[in-house]
Amino acid sequence: MTTEGSEDGPAGPLREALTVCAAAGMSGTLRVTGHPGGAIHLVDGRVVAIETPGAPSPEVLLLRSHRITESDWDTAFAAAAVAGGRMSAELIAREMVGSGELEGVLRTALADAMFVLASGTVEEYRSEPGPVDFVLPVEPGAETEWLLAETSRRIRVLASLPDRYDLNRVMAAPGAAARPGVRLVESQDEILALADGRRTPRDIAFALGQGVFATILQLARLREAGLLVTASRRMTERDRREPGHQAPGDEPGSPSKLPRRQRDRSALLRNPKTAELRAPLRLLQPRFGRSPGSGETP
Amino acid sequence: MAEDKLLAEIQALRDKVTGITGTAVASRDGLIIRDDTGGVDPDNLAALTATALALAQRLVSEAGQGTLREAVTRSSGGHVAIYAVGANAVLVLLGDEGLDITRLHYESRATIDTIEALLALSSSESAAG
Repeated sequence: MTTEGSEDGPAGPLREALTVCAAAGMSGTLRVTGHPGGAIHLVDGRVVAIETPGAPSPEVLLLRSHRITESDWDTAFAAAAVAGGRMSAELIAREMVGSGELEGVLRTALADAMFVLASGTVEEYRSEPGPVDFVLPVEPGAETEWLLAETSRRIRVLASLPDRYDLNRVMAAPGAAARPGVRLVESQDEILALADGRRTPRDIAFALGQGVFATILQLARLREAGLLVTASRRMTERDRREPGHQAPGDEPGSPSKLPRRQRDRSALLRNPKTAELRAPLRLLQPRFGRSPGSGETP
Repeated sequence: MAEDKLLAEIQALRDKVTGITGTAVASRDGLIIRDDTGGVDPDNLAALTATALALAQRLVSEAGQGTLREAVTRSSGGHVAIYAVGANAVLVLLGDEGLDITRLHYESRATIDTIEALLALSSSESAAG
């Protein structure tokens, strides 16, 4: 984890800044410059929303997971805009999502975003009092004590995992050998399909429409099961086109929606520094039951 | 080699800016120079990007708004950001919904200048060779 500050909780200065804003009953935005950085929106000292490139917004969570269709979303959004009402009210009134479920999604998204902010690097804070406008705020806003406690909990859970997970640098890379007898559930299959050597845990979370923390836990389980590796660097198209890149079991000319994966183990370890990385685990290939012994596709 | 440095430069941008899912450099007449698009057809992307840049520049000119800096499309499923690279090339970045556009705008400038220099070097090399 690239956490600045104590291991117990979010970066000290971030926690401090947020606590000060909360104590002051601030309404406005606490802007965090860094990587990934973001903006924490408060109303009367309570956190109503967090925007960061590092974690999926409620909109992404609802749409990418197909919980709400795009057209339903657009309809509700247009209606809310016209009526000057709240998006959450429109979604609930149109029975596109239940109120309890929506609240759960929003609070989880908030905690996830705070966790990502706290796990990243922070260069600067700037508080900007003023009106706050966010499409799906948590209402009523979350107490900062709760938010910080949730963040600490997530950080502790990740710290207890056998391997370190960097939200922005670790990339789950594919392997080549099939593992006979390994059974996959559909959700694992989906994650593994996304782990193509180009995506970080954060990228995979966005693609799936689920939280970064939950995604990391799933990736960790897959890694423990020997189905994922950590790549030393991001794979590129050029890598895939290199000669001898054909994965075992691939028919020449067969359309494959999966990138062909075949990295020579030695290539990953070519750089002496990467040889120090935990030993790459191989990912079974190919998925979706195309070749025998690849594991079940339900 | 200029070509490897080109890819390295673009990869470096991906490391600095959260949310980039694919990249490509194309010529202004729509031919792919370098692609790392992550599954998006690079030839189609090159052709469309060159056209999009030309149209965006004409729009800006028509509107009397100076020089185009970046053209960004924002969609339900992500972003496409297009930049002119000198007079002869175009850089396109594909991003997901969480693309850090602010950071991209800041970091892209240096990348574009470097890409322009690498392309110039590469074309003078091939002219000499």
